[in-house]
Amino acid sequence: MPPSIHPVDLIIALREKHLTPAIVFLTSRRACDEAMQAFDHSHILLPPPRQQAIATVLDKVIAQYPSIAEHPLIPTVQRIGVAAHHAGHLPSWKIAVEELMRHGCLDAVFATTTLAAGVDFPARTVIITQSSIRKSRDFMDLTIGEVQQIAGRAGRRGKDLVGFAIVTPSPYIDLNVLTKGFTGHPEAINSQFVISYPMVLNLLKAHPLDQIQPILAKSFAQFQLNQRAEVLERKLDDLRDQMEPFGPRVCTDWITEWQTFDQVRRQKSHRAPVRRHEPPELAARFHFLTPGRVVGFGRSRGVVLRQYRSKGQKSPMITALRLGGGITESPASTVTEVSDRVLDCVDTPIYPWCTPESVEELLRHLEELPGRLPELPILIPKDNETIPDAIVQTLGDFACPTCPSRSACQRDYPLASKLRQEQHRHVKSIQALRTSLWHRFQEKIDVLQQFGYLTPAARLTDNGEWARLIRIDHSLLITELLRADAFNGADPAMLAAVMSSIAHDDDRPGAFPRVSSGLGSLLGQVRKLAVSLSPHEDPPLLRADIAAVTERWIGDPSLTWIGLCKSTTMAEGDIYRLLARTLEFLSQLRTLKGTHPGLADSASRAIAALRRGVLEELP
Amino acid sequence: MRDEENGFVEELFHADHPSLVTHHLRIMTTEEIEQLLAQQPIALLHRLARGRVQRHFRAGKRRLIEVLLRHSAENRAGFESDLLTLIGEQQARPAPPPPQAPAARKPKPSAPPRRTAHRPVEPESHEPGVTLSSWLDGLGVPPPQTFVPDAWQEDAIAKLRESDVVVSVPTGSGKTYVAVEAARRAIAENRTVIYTSPLKALSNTKYTEFSKIFGADQVGILTGDRRDNGQAPLLIMTTEILRNLLYDAGGGEIDVRLDTLGLVILDESQYIADPERGVVWEETIIFCPSQAKLLLLSASIGNPHDIAEWLTTIRPTPCHLIRHSTRTVPLRAGYLHPNGKLTPFFRTVGIPHGHPSHLHPEAKRLFAQYEDETLPSGRRR
Repeated sequence: MPPSIHPVDLIIALREKHLTPAIVFLTSRRACDEAMQAFDHSHILLPPPRQQAIATVLDKVIAQYPSIAEHPLIPTVQRIGVAAHHAGHLPSWKIAVEELMRHGCLDAVFATTTLAAGVDFPARTVIITQSSIRKSRDFMDLTIGEVQQIAGRAGRRGKDLVGFAIVTPSPYIDLNVLTKGFTGHPEAINSQFVISYPMVLNLLKAHPLDQIQPILAKSFAQFQLNQRAEVLERKLDDLRDQMEPFGPRVCTDWITEWQTFDQVRRQKSHRAPVRRHEPPELAARFHFLTPGRVVGFGRSRGVVLRQYRSKGQKSPMITALRLGGGITESPASTVTEVSDRVLDCVDTPIYPWCTPESVEELLRHLEELPGRLPELPILIPKDNETIPDAIVQTLGDFACPTCPSRSACQRDYPLASKLRQEQHRHVKSIQALRTSLWHRFQEKIDVLQQFGYLTPAARLTDNGEWARLIRIDHSLLITELLRADAFNGADPAMLAAVMSSIAHDDDRPGAFPRVSSGLGSLLGQVRKLAVSLSPHEDPPLLRADIAAVTERWIGDPSLTWIGLCKSTTMAEGDIYRLLARTLEFLSQLRTLKGTHPGLADSASRAIAALRRGVLEELP
Repeated sequence: MRDEENGFVEELFHADHPSLVTHHLRIMTTEEIEQLLAQQPIALLHRLARGRVQRHFRAGKRRLIEVLLRHSAENRAGFESDLLTLIGEQQARPAPPPPQAPAARKPKPSAPPRRTAHRPVEPESHEPGVTLSSWLDGLGVPPPQTFVPDAWQEDAIAKLRESDVVVSVPTGSGKTYVAVEAARRAIAENRTVIYTSPLKALSNTKYTEFSKIFGADQVGILTGDRRDNGQAPLLIMTTEILRNLLYDAGGGEIDVRLDTLGLVILDESQYIADPERGVVWEETIIFCPSQAKLLLLSASIGNPHDIAEWLTTIRPTPCHLIRHSTRTVPLRAGYLHPNGKLTPFFRTVGIPHGHPSHLHPEAKRLFAQYEDETLPSGRRR
């Protein structure tokens, strides 16, 4: 059994059942490309009139976007009527495929699921081959909403009576996810509100600090937090009702009163059994009966191996190695003499409580010891314990023992205290839900004040005035770079290269052109700054190899798009996206004409150099 | 659970092959079944109980038989055929054959007529599924007809006159029609319309599409570094660009004609839940000028009423929610086996909403077979 259906067989099966045109969603770009390659030598050709129709549509698109005239997939598209459509392609190619689909020229399009929203063309049939999708770094099961969005591409209004979503197994499939996806109700969506530095700056530009909280309260995030808070508040009301019978009694706050009383009572009762019958000299001695201590038992002598308290009576005990090699357990009271000698002994957690070697060593030392040993002077404290009295006195402070509601308190305390704890917990969470956004906002204010973009009164400083115009990811890194004058004297190519390495967030490996030494050292500085900012902002990947692609494209105006693509293994579509995102970043820098004229000029020139060839085709 | 079902389903599909059917199906009385069960080894009873009875491994034989009979009360025939299949699988077993009418035991040639006579019992009893032909039925192109907007589309456009509107409908229902008509009306009133999409690629597509509908001079597009026909009444941009414009307006620099802004259309607004970019939609909605109407177009989501309620709390007029889940073009799900065999995915022709377990028996069998053959040996699901 093959792991999944062969693309050619798939198309044959679909044609046979009149299920074309179809969108085939595959796991990866590579799967799409391989599916296209599978048609290289197949003979399931389209009838000539349909081939002609495809050629006509393609010609029209090519006239508008000349960059795809030489596209390697065109022969397959024309012969078989299938195409691939994924993020690795140029936008103009994707437009061509969409156009062909709209005219009904194609039988199938192989697409990746990653951008299900980007596949904005319907078909009669949708083929689903996987149940998980790559999100940022790892694969996640499709949500119900996503399955429905994918399946929803099936069935063209006005062109089909029914749409078909067909599942075909592959190694990446879990049928349960899909059945649930087809039959389920889409998930509720949740706010993903994050407070960014530009947001703080722009809000504070337009509004004084004391008006910010009401603005944050208008967010969907706060709306949903409020919903959760309301649920808790309802619970709190319930709790209040349940607490009704436990209202004020003899004392207003009887729960706390009883709790303290109970604790003190418990403490007292616990003290009694332990060490009650221990004579003070024994207690004092016991501290010194540590492993290795030489002690006398009447006439014989021994070395302490461990000390412990017996299980039931908690009486002080020692394990000793006696002269002659016996190991005995005896009460500490049998020790008649505590010498000032301590022998070296390596203790272990199990019998015989020290290593066998040290047993021999100890025995040898024990025999070699002189007959009389100086005794260890031990101070014996006077026997005047006052602690129980203190507790008795404290207990006297409580009215509880004689209180008329004592039995009621004792009975209700466990439940009442549990309810009250819950109440406190809810009150705290409600408070957190109501104020968390504001706290997050204040944290950002603190950082911006620390870096000098905001005054202590939370007004914008001169730096803040221009920094608020940088409204992209990693804005703090970029504004700090500008303040450090990192781009002073950097040519447009270098500036754009650094911007693209900041903008690029994909860690797909590949082969890239060499990095120039100037760019390399500049990126080193950027990386250093990014690391130092990491407590306040996640550092970007800052790939030097990616930066080199942009540097080459701007640095060498005679370089063609094909030439650029040949210098790296990056997919065409990825290069396009990289450059397009760089353009976006540069155009933000260009808005800083007033404060950074040199930089803005450099950015404009970089933009002009970037926008050529393929990048000029689309707005 | 899969084992005996497979066994059974296979038997169903091989029913035309007489040699595989050792015992003919016929309705047995409860006593007969009970007797038959009592003769079986306990292991077989446990296999039979799998998926039918919970915690059957705890029960002794007598109890197991009792419980099995009780649980199979509504579906006696299916139970019976399962039992017979299992017995058939245990050909080598020394137990005495079940008591049966001698005629029914005759192996082959006379069988077909009788089997057809018994046929109705099987599919009814155990997961009847639609046939492929009835599933494929209806495939085709509808006769050309003039476009008549759906009631919800009319409703959305009408409601947009006095309030914000949130539309949450399945993919492909015709949200674009609402956007176009609403834009047309706003333009007719000399208002500016802004249309935003989450992706630049979608912006480009819409730019082409709207240029065809409204005429090239009526549509402009704004990107981070370029502005084509920025004075046109209908402006297309990504949501980030609109957010930036609104921030600029808040800072005092008015860039676009926000004072004449009459309508803001946020397409694919389920992106508000995007972990990285969702906040941009919130910012845009919060700072959207109050004289402009908001039109949020979104795919089916679970809580559109939350969005509508939220808009109601922060916008001057109460927001109107339009949602429905029926598709304009009905959807059917199918299963295509790697060997090219196509079957319906669910037992019903359409999608059985709320019943994920209503899989078509054939699809189930084929997928189980696929898993058995592709998973490394010794490892099962």
